[in-house]
Amino acid sequence: MVLKQLELQNFRLHKNTSLNFSDKLNLIIGGNGQGKTTILEAIYYLCTTKNLILASESDVVSLNENFFDTKGNFADLTNDESRVFYDSTKNKKSVFLNDKQITNSAEIIGKFPIVSLIQSDHAITLGAPADRRKFVDSVISQVSKTYLEILIEYNKILRQRSVILWKLKENYDKNLLDELDAWTVSLINAGTEIIKYRISFVNDFNKYLLKSYSQIVENLETPKIIYNTVSENIDSIKENFIDNINSAHNDELRRAMNLVGPHRDDFLFFINDLELKRFGSQGQHKTFQIALRFGQFYYIKDKLGKTPIFLMDDVFGELDTYRSEKISQHLNEIGQSFITMTDFSRVEELNLSKESNIIKVENGKTKIIN
Amino acid sequence: MLIAEPLQKAIDELSKLPSIGKKTAQRLAIHILKDDKESVESLINSLRDLKEKIKLCNECFNIATEDKCDVCKSNKRDRSIICVVEDPSDVISIEKTNEYNGLYHVLGGVLNPLAGVTVEKLKIKELLERVKNEEVKEIILALNPDAEGDATSLYLTKILKEAHIKVTRIARGLPIGGDLEFADSATIGRAFIGRIEL
Ligand SMILES: [Zn+2]
Repeated sequence: MVLKQLELQNFRLHKNTSLNFSDKLNLIIGGNGQGKTTILEAIYYLCTTKNLILASESDVVSLNENFFDTKGNFADLTNDESRVFYDSTKNKKSVFLNDKQITNSAEIIGKFPIVSLIQSDHAITLGAPADRRKFVDSVISQVSKTYLEILIEYNKILRQRSVILWKLKENYDKNLLDELDAWTVSLINAGTEIIKYRISFVNDFNKYLLKSYSQIVENLETPKIIYNTVSENIDSIKENFIDNINSAHNDELRRAMNLVGPHRDDFLFFINDLELKRFGSQGQHKTFQIALRFGQFYYIKDKLGKTPIFLMDDVFGELDTYRSEKISQHLNEIGQSFITMTDFSRVEELNLSKESNIIKVENGKTKIIN
Repeated sequence: MLIAEPLQKAIDELSKLPSIGKKTAQRLAIHILKDDKESVESLINSLRDLKEKIKLCNECFNIATEDKCDVCKSNKRDRSIICVVEDPSDVISIEKTNEYNGLYHVLGGVLNPLAGVTVEKLKIKELLERVKNEEVKEIILALNPDAEGDATSLYLTKILKEAHIKVTRIARGLPIGGDLEFADSATIGRAFIGRIEL
């Protein structure tokens, strides 16, 4: 699947921008704050309805305007137009697929698969367990709508259950305990499904990670993800879940918190059996982050049978020549990609093929220079 | 802008109705204004009757015109089965399938602590009273298969089993997130046939 054309209106610095893209590599070059990441931000909206850098919609609207509008034409077996419109006077975002309004963003997720490698990815290896769960959940959700639905349901159960826990803390009542039991069973049922999905994802994904990682580094290093959850054995998840939640009962009541379940899981990253978080160098962290994203790309491609769009925001600045070259080899192979760069002098390292497209961005104005 | 007060009042009242915006309310008010006197009288009477003559069945809490609803009054229904639903519109959906011949029990909602709905806000005590009657052999739970519907089913299963009664649940053939009210009859019908014992 490729994005053929993009239109932006009142989208940050872009008052009115229309761009045609190459099916291969699209290089977007410009200084800081000129509006190059904004193009990735718009593409990400069209594929996911969400903001790439978790900015709020009102921040995206150009100064002194009260809406933004972005449209993209995608070509696969069919042609599809995705459109995201935001009205800041009503604080309302509307999403359209082929001119038909969509109310549930799940209808679009997975239709235009996308993988993004951005600055904030450092949180995946360096940040909190929540950052790693978010990475894993987003990858599985892109290939399984059922997983996304169970996840949404699970989060709702957590909120409902914590209301009951609060009530019990305020006023201990036997009837309320029966009600808590009902939510606990719901939590265990949905949570067990989530854990099963995650276990089989990690098993599968480790192969993709290994392959991507070995294509970027010179020396022999073996990366690995280990999933830390209520049970290592897929057959005893429910049993262990029940045991753990029973033994946490008093703590849960005392703290009025959901203390057991996949919302507290972590994913540990290893290189050659050494934990990355404790022993990894800066370079290893960076390589791991990149390999996770390339792994995600091939994983989604295999599972969905559709080639995702690849976004990469200002990553080359931090890389040495060897890894830059390795990554650009990758980029020439994967399909359609959008890469931002501040430094024009490093373009040579990329070994651009004839089909690539170079777009120069200055103060919200774009120019194709090939 | 000056609008005659009675007209403005009518627009305000109409726009309080679900899915009626200001514009639609205005159109409806003007339409009623232009309509002949008999039609308007008939509309007013039908609304008054709706409020005055319709009440909740004192046995199952379905919509009724007398103390008991048509289902509870009928002598053709199987009184040994009670189907538990969230609200009266679910009764209408299930009746349309012609697959079910037992009685109903309308809970008036599902457990939803975030919205302040806990056990005592629902007609659960009344359900337990009904199952004490020896005639009742089976309870079918037909709540929507979302987080709240599931938790409510689990809660009811637990307390009904303590009362030693057979509990079944309609199968999850329904679209997730789709309300029973909007599912087509065939889907609900199939879900009924495939119900499972809990
Ligand atoms: Zn009745």
